[in-house]
Amino acid sequence: VTAPHKDPAVIERGRAALRELKDVCRSLVYATLLTDDGFEIVSLPADGRDDSRLASMASSIQALADAVARELRIGDSEFVIIASDSGHIIQRRVPGEPIVLAALFDDDETLGKALSISRLTTEKMSAHLAATTPHTE
Amino acid sequence: MPEHVILFTGPMGAGKTTAIRTISEIDVVSTEAGNTDRAAADKPTTTVALDYGEILLSDEEKVRLYGIPGQRRFEFMWRILRERAVGMVLLVDNTAPDPIADALEYLEAFEELLDRGGVVVGITRMDGAQDPSVLDFSRALLAARPGITVPVFAMDPRLIGDVRLALLSLIANIDMRAAFGRAEVPTP
Repeated sequence: VTAPHKDPAVIERGRAALRELKDVCRSLVYATLLTDDGFEIVSLPADGRDDSRLASMASSIQALADAVARELRIGDSEFVIIASDSGHIIQRRVPGEPIVLAALFDDDETLGKALSISRLTTEKMSAHLAATTPHTE
Repeated sequence: MPEHVILFTGPMGAGKTTAIRTISEIDVVSTEAGNTDRAAADKPTTTVALDYGEILLSDEEKVRLYGIPGQRRFEFMWRILRERAVGMVLLVDNTAPDPIADALEYLEAFEELLDRGGVVVGITRMDGAQDPSVLDFSRALLAARPGITVPVFAMDPRLIGDVRLALLSLIANIDMRAAFGRAEVPTP
């Protein structure tokens, strides 16, 4: 069974998902899909930044958020928000997959819209992957 | 209450999470994810941020135990955790291709802990590989850091006695350094 970051079908589906996200949300600055254990699957734009490092950091943040939710017994963490002066980062799991979306939006975007669009993106990707071959180890 | 922050470091699969779970007196906080890199270590999950546990040495002395993610790609977590630590238990899997090189790599990455507090090395899976021996590790560490004592133990991270021995040795070493300065051995 192929890991998501080595699976051409997942990579291609991920690339398409990020392009669709960018098409409907011009305030998207950067987005990456990563495995739960911190391997970059695909990023947009591929502009030479250290995508693998960002993927590792996003993986750690997601895991810490999950750990806090477990500790407080409030169920699974649904999303993570990092807000800053010039934008916000949203992280979400792709439902049913060992995959996380991390997306940076500039401050032109409302948080509500960014959350909504990121949710639609992950749900759509989940539905697509569920209809294809399992690919996790 | 005096507190020590101790790191459990070492390569992926060396037994860091197991050791903390073995010795912690609280429910361990874990950040494990499915492992998609079975070539690096054939285990189902891997730590991606930290493990956290605690033990009380006495009513007045607590030890906070942090396990690092073993993979180099999580080096940013190493830096975050290293800043607060006074010592580390470095675990090395003796069945790895070059365990002494692994030990030296992590010793270098966490070198400041040699000066700030202390380091002990635990060699795991010695039932699967007798060589290199504990003495081989000791010699290699002394050659790499002349004059600095780094105790080396054979350790099964599933055994509380093994983990506790290494940890208490580290704490004693840290306390001794705090009281008397760096523990040194005569250079040959």
